[in-house]
Amino acid sequence: MDIINNQASVTRSEKSNPLSMFTQIYILVVRSLTTLLRTPEALLPPVAISIFFLVIYQSTLGKASSFIPGIDGSYLGFILPLSIVSGSLSGSGVAAQNLVRDIERGYFDKLLLTPVRRAALLLAPILAGAVILGIQTIIVVAVGLLLGLNPVTGIPGLLVVIGLSILLGIGFAGFTVSAALGSGSAAATQGASFLFFPLTFLAPTFVPLSLLSGWLEVAARINPITYVLQAMRALLNTGWDTQAILTSLLACLILGAVMYALAAFALTVRTRRT
Amino acid sequence: MGSREIVVENLVKNYPGNVTAINDLSFRVDEGKIFGFLGPNGAGKSTTIKILTTLALPTSGKASVGGFDIASQASEVRRVAGVALQDIGIDPLMKPVELLVLQGRMFGASKSEAQARARELLDLLQLSGATDRRVGTYSGGMRRRLDLALALVHQPRVLFLDEPTTGLDPISRRDVWREVRRLNRELGITIFLTTQYLEEADELADTVAIIVGGKIAVEGSPARLKAALGEESLNLVFESPEIAQQSQSAVQQFSDRIQLDRDTVRLYLEQAAEAIPAVISQLQQVALSPLSITLTQPTLDDVFLQVTGQRLVAAEADKAKSSGSKR
Repeated sequence: MDIINNQASVTRSEKSNPLSMFTQIYILVVRSLTTLLRTPEALLPPVAISIFFLVIYQSTLGKASSFIPGIDGSYLGFILPLSIVSGSLSGSGVAAQNLVRDIERGYFDKLLLTPVRRAALLLAPILAGAVILGIQTIIVVAVGLLLGLNPVTGIPGLLVVIGLSILLGIGFAGFTVSAALGSGSAAATQGASFLFFPLTFLAPTFVPLSLLSGWLEVAARINPITYVLQAMRALLNTGWDTQAILTSLLACLILGAVMYALAAFALTVRTRRT
Repeated sequence: MGSREIVVENLVKNYPGNVTAINDLSFRVDEGKIFGFLGPNGAGKSTTIKILTTLALPTSGKASVGGFDIASQASEVRRVAGVALQDIGIDPLMKPVELLVLQGRMFGASKSEAQARARELLDLLQLSGATDRRVGTYSGGMRRRLDLALALVHQPRVLFLDEPTTGLDPISRRDVWREVRRLNRELGITIFLTTQYLEEADELADTVAIIVGGKIAVEGSPARLKAALGEESLNLVFESPEIAQQSQSAVQQFSDRIQLDRDTVRLYLEQAAEAIPAVISQLQQVALSPLSITLTQPTLDDVFLQVTGQRLVAAEADKAKSSGSKR
């Protein structure tokens, strides 16, 4: 009897909100992007830093491919993925900062007082962050092209590189968003995104994986960034390496699954009525 | 008409660490009425609003809004209730129409419906002149009015206002009062309002409940509560609390109820005006003279003092001093 009653009330509440989950997410993404673009000063630093390091690495180590074994092709094609990946790590914080701003200002509560789906509140800032990340990656890649990058897989390869960057960013966004939901504080969220910084270096950052050994090799092998770097490097320097691409996709998928389980839990805790 | 829009039965809310925010609260609000929840900070007002608007669950007890149970029918409650919380939760980077349209869309309105409703509400709350500005540039009073508009987007039957005028200047406060009254009279919206201002409750509410320490101390219409005190008071203000104390014994014979409140002696009398000459001559005999003499009808403040033994205004003044604002 109780079950029947519950079902009746569920149907009623869904019928009375004709907007689909998709439409709700779309509206909230547009809103997130609107506010993000009104604070461009928050969006520029990640791009600027990525470009800065790209130029520095290229100018100081540009000839390194001739003396570091295992770098096939240009050094630019080897090091650009590092710039892109560090960009997607810092860019992954955009979603969380967007969310934590709403929590701090009380706008998140205001949205909770509407019949909006709770999942839409989580996914919208992440998707908005992904759009921003895509744009940031395109800019970094464009700078690479200006510096003389000549990707062996052409435009399709570059699109896969950009796609991988976004996927990795979305995966890590799950973590920063969890921090935002869990702490409700901008400072803590900022701190959480700094945790990724060392991850960039526990990877075949400056030399190929084959040259790493000991604990660093172990760390690099369980770091999803490793596989994304390898796939991107192959795409830029050696050609279509299906296995590397699939491995990096799998790495992003596992990362995403873990991070989103965490984010879903953090959302439940945040919206639990205690 | 006359149906119960809000029913609260034996509501209790405990927070971790043995903090009891509300303790066995029960009351009812009839359709179309304004119910004023009056109490000092920390009395449990905001907690009650959070529970009634589905942001929090009670530890025990039951409550319904618009006939829907706040625990098991939360989404129905959200549909019939409009809420303006004490902290105005609006994104300062957005423009008013964007906020209103987004809110309307979340409640299921189509784009054109939501836009029409947004324009209607901006007109209603007299914000039509400032639609191109980001909300961050709004004054406190304008933000309150916009927040009120946001609470009204889905045409709620019941409106919850948590301290709607706290932090506003007197003119903005009167503006908000006028809007609240108009929403109640013209649209028939039932309003549940918390406040720490006596004149606000007196001005707006059909029924006032005074809440102290998570419990309702007294409940009734402002007029009835004041009438229950029955008497006017003669207030004698002296130079210092010590002198006031001396005077208190000198005038004891005039009233059964005399109160000493810092430098003021209050005599509660049936015909206070007629007693003034006698009181003065009595004081002159003991060589005391008051700085001022005033006569007051009972106010809600007196009711508050009567039921709680403390003066709400004094509590507020202390708070205002520490936060640097004036009253």
